[in-house]
Amino acid sequence: MEGGLKPARDFSPVSSYSPGGSHMDFHQLWTIFSTPDNVPIVLLLFVVPFYTWYGLRQAFANDRLIGQLEADPALAKTSHRKTQLWKPGWAKEVHVWPYLLRIEFLAAIIVTVILMVWSITLNAPLEEPSNPTLTMNPAKAPWYFLGLQEMLVYFDPWMAGVVFPSLIIIGLMVIPYIDANPLGNGYYTYKQRKFSILTFLFGFIALWVSMIVIGTIIRGPGWMWFWPGVTWDHNRLVFEVNRDLPDIFGIKDRTGKAIFGAIVMGIYFVGAWIGMHKLITRTPFNRKIYARMSLLQYSVMQVFLILMLLLPVKMLLRLVFRIKYVWITPWFNI
Amino acid sequence: MTDQEKDPVVNSSLSKPLFISSALLLLSLGWALYDEVYGTRPWKGYQTRFDKVYSRFLRETLPQEAASEQKIKASPEYKDLDRQMQAAEKAVMPQVAEIDRKVNLELVPRALALNEPFQEVRGHVGALTYQIEISKSESSKNSMRKEIEELKKEVHMVKLPKPDGSTEKVPMDFATMDKTLQDWKADKATLLQKRVDLLKPATELRAKRDKYLTDRISDVSAATLEGLKNKMATFEVGIRQIHVKDVDLVDRCESCHLGTREPVTLTKAAMGGEEVFVSHPNRELLKVHDPEKFGCTPCHGGNGVALTSVEKAHGYNEHWLWPLHARENFEAGCQQCHSQEIVTEMADTLDAGRETFRLRGCMACHRYEGFDRDPDALSAVNQDIRQLTQQKAEWTREAGFSVEKGDRTRNNDEAQKLYQHANDLKVRTSLIDAKIEQDDDRARSLVREIKKVGPSLKEVRMKMHKEWLPVWLKDPHAWRPGTKMPTFRLDDGEIRAVAAFIWQSGVTGDLPQQPAGDPEKGKEAFETRGCMACHSMGEGADKQGGTFAANLSRVGEKDNYDYLVRWVHNPRQRTLPYCPFEKKDITAEDYKRAGLPFVFDTEHSKCPNDGHELLVMQMTPMPSLRLSEAEARDIASYLETRKHTGVTYANADYLDDPSLKARGQFLVRFYGCAGCHEIAGLEEEQRIGTELTKEGSKPIERLDFALLGHDAERQGWYTHKGFFEHKLENPAVYDQGKEKAKLDRLKMPNFNLSKPEIDQLTTFLLGSVDPSIPARYFYNPGDQRRDIVDGWWVVRKYNCMGCHQVHVGQTTVFMTLPRYQDPDWKDQRPPTLIGEGARVNPEWLMRFLNNPSLTDNPEEMDRDGVRRYLHARMPTFYFSDDEIQKLVRFFAAMSSQAAPYIADRLDPLTDQERTMARQLFSSEGAPCLKCHATGDPKHDAHATAPNFLLAKERLKPGWARRWMLDPAMMSPGTAMPSGLFRAEGDREVFAGPTPASFNGYTKDHAQLLVRYMFQFTPEELTRLRASAAGQ
Amino acid sequence: MAETDGKKGAPASPPAGAPPAGSNGDGKNGKGRITALLEGGKVVRERAVDELKALKQPEKTDLWKSVLRVKHDETPRSRALGVLSNVFLHLHPAKINRDAVAYNYTWGMGGMTFYVYITLVFTGTLLMFYYHPSKVVAFRDILYLEHDVPFGKLLRNMHRWGAHLMVIMVELHMFRVFLTGSYKPPRQFNWVVGVLLLVLTLLLSFTGYLLPDDQLGFWAVTVGTNMARATPLLGHDGPFGHQLGMTPFNDVRFGLLGGSIVDANALLRAYIWHCVAIPIIASTFMVVHFWRVRKDGGISGPSPVVLESEIKEPRKL
Repeated sequence: MEGGLKPARDFSPVSSYSPGGSHMDFHQLWTIFSTPDNVPIVLLLFVVPFYTWYGLRQAFANDRLIGQLEADPALAKTSHRKTQLWKPGWAKEVHVWPYLLRIEFLAAIIVTVILMVWSITLNAPLEEPSNPTLTMNPAKAPWYFLGLQEMLVYFDPWMAGVVFPSLIIIGLMVIPYIDANPLGNGYYTYKQRKFSILTFLFGFIALWVSMIVIGTIIRGPGWMWFWPGVTWDHNRLVFEVNRDLPDIFGIKDRTGKAIFGAIVMGIYFVGAWIGMHKLITRTPFNRKIYARMSLLQYSVMQVFLILMLLLPVKMLLRLVFRIKYVWITPWFNI
Repeated sequence: MTDQEKDPVVNSSLSKPLFISSALLLLSLGWALYDEVYGTRPWKGYQTRFDKVYSRFLRETLPQEAASEQKIKASPEYKDLDRQMQAAEKAVMPQVAEIDRKVNLELVPRALALNEPFQEVRGHVGALTYQIEISKSESSKNSMRKEIEELKKEVHMVKLPKPDGSTEKVPMDFATMDKTLQDWKADKATLLQKRVDLLKPATELRAKRDKYLTDRISDVSAATLEGLKNKMATFEVGIRQIHVKDVDLVDRCESCHLGTREPVTLTKAAMGGEEVFVSHPNRELLKVHDPEKFGCTPCHGGNGVALTSVEKAHGYNEHWLWPLHARENFEAGCQQCHSQEIVTEMADTLDAGRETFRLRGCMACHRYEGFDRDPDALSAVNQDIRQLTQQKAEWTREAGFSVEKGDRTRNNDEAQKLYQHANDLKVRTSLIDAKIEQDDDRARSLVREIKKVGPSLKEVRMKMHKEWLPVWLKDPHAWRPGTKMPTFRLDDGEIRAVAAFIWQSGVTGDLPQQPAGDPEKGKEAFETRGCMACHSMGEGADKQGGTFAANLSRVGEKDNYDYLVRWVHNPRQRTLPYCPFEKKDITAEDYKRAGLPFVFDTEHSKCPNDGHELLVMQMTPMPSLRLSEAEARDIASYLETRKHTGVTYANADYLDDPSLKARGQFLVRFYGCAGCHEIAGLEEEQRIGTELTKEGSKPIERLDFALLGHDAERQGWYTHKGFFEHKLENPAVYDQGKEKAKLDRLKMPNFNLSKPEIDQLTTFLLGSVDPSIPARYFYNPGDQRRDIVDGWWVVRKYNCMGCHQVHVGQTTVFMTLPRYQDPDWKDQRPPTLIGEGARVNPEWLMRFLNNPSLTDNPEEMDRDGVRRYLHARMPTFYFSDDEIQKLVRFFAAMSSQAAPYIADRLDPLTDQERTMARQLFSSEGAPCLKCHATGDPKHDAHATAPNFLLAKERLKPGWARRWMLDPAMMSPGTAMPSGLFRAEGDREVFAGPTPASFNGYTKDHAQLLVRYMFQFTPEELTRLRASAAGQ
Repeated sequence: MAETDGKKGAPASPPAGAPPAGSNGDGKNGKGRITALLEGGKVVRERAVDELKALKQPEKTDLWKSVLRVKHDETPRSRALGVLSNVFLHLHPAKINRDAVAYNYTWGMGGMTFYVYITLVFTGTLLMFYYHPSKVVAFRDILYLEHDVPFGKLLRNMHRWGAHLMVIMVELHMFRVFLTGSYKPPRQFNWVVGVLLLVLTLLLSFTGYLLPDDQLGFWAVTVGTNMARATPLLGHDGPFGHQLGMTPFNDVRFGLLGGSIVDANALLRAYIWHCVAIPIIASTFMVVHFWRVRKDGGISGPSPVVLESEIKEPRKL
């Protein structure tokens, strides 16, 4: 900062700078990861995989146990049916005080330490005083909403910003009521809940978390896609035309578009419904569960699954086929 | 259960992890504490260090100061003063002692003793009085009144101490007690007063003695140092902050920069090489801007609140909008409040920046509020005229209506009201006319005031050799280093087109054939008439003269002799006048059609076609030196000889190729040439650059670093400073690596600025901000200082400082010219204007500025009105009335003269006095006429001072007297001898031998001469000459 | 012992007490008095000694009993009572599944979330002492927090990072609950409450974002609230919003910001939501959440695995 004038000759030659990203721009990577508000995402990158592994490992252990028990019913009678070690004569239950409280106490201390150290070493960001006339580029929402902001690329705000969030919330809420599988209540298992676990992992990790990561690390100025290590160049220009599906089919007039879109959506729904149904009733076990479901449960589940599927499908259309809208009406576009 | 199968849940112990984590918790708490107390409080370290270094500094310097003080105290003068003081004191000691005894041993203790019983009684009385006031029944009132009476009568035995320690009992009643007390108080007062009077001489002597000491101590007295030392003894570590309440400004800069306001001057060396502790480099500045009122950051930038790290405090952290100004730019802080000035005292860098901005014509492309005041003012005035005319029309109409209504209405009073209203409106309309008239005049003078940075290109055909144009356009700096004309990045095609357009758009007119002049004489004239105050001659090392205007070393290669003669004779002379209304040059035909002679000048400036004000002069600040035709020819011929030998210019006949013109015009428009030059058809061009008035506070994101943004960030110049510096250093820099069509590239030409110039301009631009402080802090004086602010603009505009000293410590170009180092030539330097306002009569100054020859006789124009003997000549600038007013007010304000000026009356001379004065004037002792001009050509040839005839209307008597008494004081090294008079009591007496007639003359001699000068007449001059000849 | 004390003590208590029983008031009065005094003194000393002895076992004292209603010995009973009779701990059962104590099943995320929430409330309250929710001042307050307020910087950092940590933990908690199928009967509804708490957590964090009134918060909130303008029916840019006469000055976004742009009003609203409204709502739901955990039979597991063959047929309605 202090430095006086560098004569033009001393300019590091412009060639050294290459927005194309032919070379790794570690400085850029560092600035992204070291931004205080991005630290949680970095944390997420480690914590989520760890706990997924941690949970699934126990699930598989239980599955093995289940396998043994199914193999010999005699053992099933006697076993205490847990992976945890147990010997006869050991109490099945222990006192909360001290056996649980001491652990809670320990946890509290550790959390405090983590929080303290984090707070001492890293300062909460404070930027320029707010200035409505000066737009930030990129202007990013808090990280936990980046998923929604990322959705804005694929859907109109009313979908990405309002409909989907509400759907996510409601969808989460109805889970207990549409999951008709009585097994796997209170213990980790994969084998007994393949479908629900896979669905959840897909929704939580593949959609929610990964979208957050994309929004933080990949999306640069102008919300453009920068692979890690590519310099975030404000001057970068990308040529991409996004067409609407009706246009590809050469449909011009508005009513035509509306009707066409409706039809396409209809087709998608039906197709997805059938596909999902196949998936749900693939294995005999799944069929058994399916049999236990009421019609209402089933259709609600279908609707939410299909809607959830809408996101990746639309992403695919947009990123691969450069299609913006499928259904265009005077009031809303999808 | 047996050991080997113990239940892990129940039996495992968590104490180890619990212990470890608790230990960690304690550690982190400790860390937090350290961080709080020390880690984020670096200023504490600074303060402890300051304490050490500063205390040591004081310890070391104290003895030296003390020593030097001892030396002074040892000096006989001091001793003498001291002795006197002692003596005076001793003289009065006994009486003083007596007084003290009386007061301290008698009056005071006795009064105290008496006071007690007195107060007691009085209190009792007071209480009773209150009872009386509130009690209802008259009877009880009376009874209490009686009670009071008795109280007052009651006699107390008061115990009063006697000086010898014993006590006496004195019977007293209330009244007596009261009385005695009053008396004693009175006695005490008188005695103390007496004491003071007695000691008066002693005290005065003491003051004198101490002053003698302080006058001889350079920096600070030992006493002050002692005080500082004590202060440091109780130095406490803590935040030092300035809080300006009304702007809620908090600056803690002094928490680290502790030396800033110390009374001692602290240098880096003195403070153990720690620059943070040095004292503020400019105490004067702090006097004008008291930190307690202005804080630090408003001027210096930075984050005044921040204390956690140097980076943050200086505002160099990311996201802080007002970083500390770098060393070379710190005067940027001045600009935000002093934005109306072209010259700000004590801000040389900034001033230089503004001057460069103006001189290099930056404002020709970039609008900058205040820097193009003339055009702005002109449009404002025209706007005003429009509004006034509208208003006038409205009122006239309304007046008509109300008269009609008046006629129609039945009711008589109603009618009266309406007629009255109509009349009022008419009167007000008449006032408007007066206003409009004023505006018209103003508009006329403004047309005159507008100047262009570069020469008019309309005259190019008559002035230039066409071959020269392309060469010049290619690279002006190669042809004439340091020229104002910047280098545009033109390719040959563009050059051809531009040159062709300019050439073909030039006007033609008849130019008289001039006979050749004498280059030798011309050289002499060029070097002595004053041309070099603005122009420089010679290249490289042997370059001499001013930088205000062009260097003329190669002018012979480009200019046409006949034109040059005309130009030198009167640069303001145009070939054709320009009519802003028709937007075209008016030719002889237009005049013929109107049946008018083809004459246009400041008197004849109406357009023959539509009567609008014409532009009758060249838009150049270059003045007319009122040279004779012959002299003009000489100078022109001299200039024609100034050329490089053996330079050949390629034939450029294509300049007449009409097919190039269209593209040429486009390019000239595109590059905004018309900003600096007057070009036919492009007189009304708009500026092509961005406005810079608030450039300094433009969000950094809006400054286009283009592809260099990332390098800038890495190399640490992603700042406003960095942007400006690089842009100025190489205006095309932000095109680097960009893929752009020729016309999309950055237009700004290269001015080949030097590093200092870049720093100055950067300072100026960094200061050009949207101020973050309230407007009442801006420098916007209403008093005389306003005149100074306005005046400077004119002074700078016409480069008065090339010839004259306008403020103390300034050097003129003449002072730098070798010729004028010679003692004989020193007197030939133009007069200094320091104190001009106090010296001359404003009326006269107005006349002089309007026409420095002070004559209307065309033959005599070729002279200087005041100092004929000067070779350098005050030129005619064709100032507008407004400019003249500004200048006169400026000089008045500079020497804080009351305006308007009312001359003080001098009592008339008696004949006898006149004779005395005349004799003195012509006496041996006062050879006034040796130097002062007398109007006799033979004598004036070697006169070096003005003619006394001028004094009456030119000078102010007060100044004349001061001048006679001590000229050297006003202008050191003047030829006017000092010490002509000596003080004799309260009058000044001529020092040299006085004529016999002076015997018995009791009045002030200097005053006599002043009166003589101010009642001087041509007749008296002849008499004086006669008597001088008689000697 | 006590009675004799009482008898002796009574006359002893007044300094110049009545003469001891038996002696009548004539003759050597003074002597009797002195002996009485000495007696009284002895008695007082004895008592003092007794009481000091009693202090050797503090848990026997009334004070102790009044504060901690149970005696803390190693007996199962008092251990259980210790938890049950403590307002802070009573949401815990007296005893729990031996395996639930281990970390691997619960990951402790729920508890830690709650703990972080408490720290947030604590730091947040302290921050409120130094913060004015009004334009210009707000930003300066943050500067002062960093540079003047003792531990201000630490407070602010802890609050911000704590908020981030809480969001992460909540999500992980949900992840765990799903993996262990703990939302299954009888815990369906508590899952719903949990989802609500997740939403509230996000809202808490989001409303806090604007408070420093810097570019970061300002634009984050602008982006966020701009979505609201597209709400179907209720936003002026949303589907059918226009048809329903929604304008920038009466739609849901206006309601959120208290204006058509993010400005002083928005700041104040964010402040109140962040510091008053949402915390109260969230706390309420937390109480419900914890209460339900307990009432739905404590934490879900680890419970013994159930085999496919053991699935009971759903009873037909």
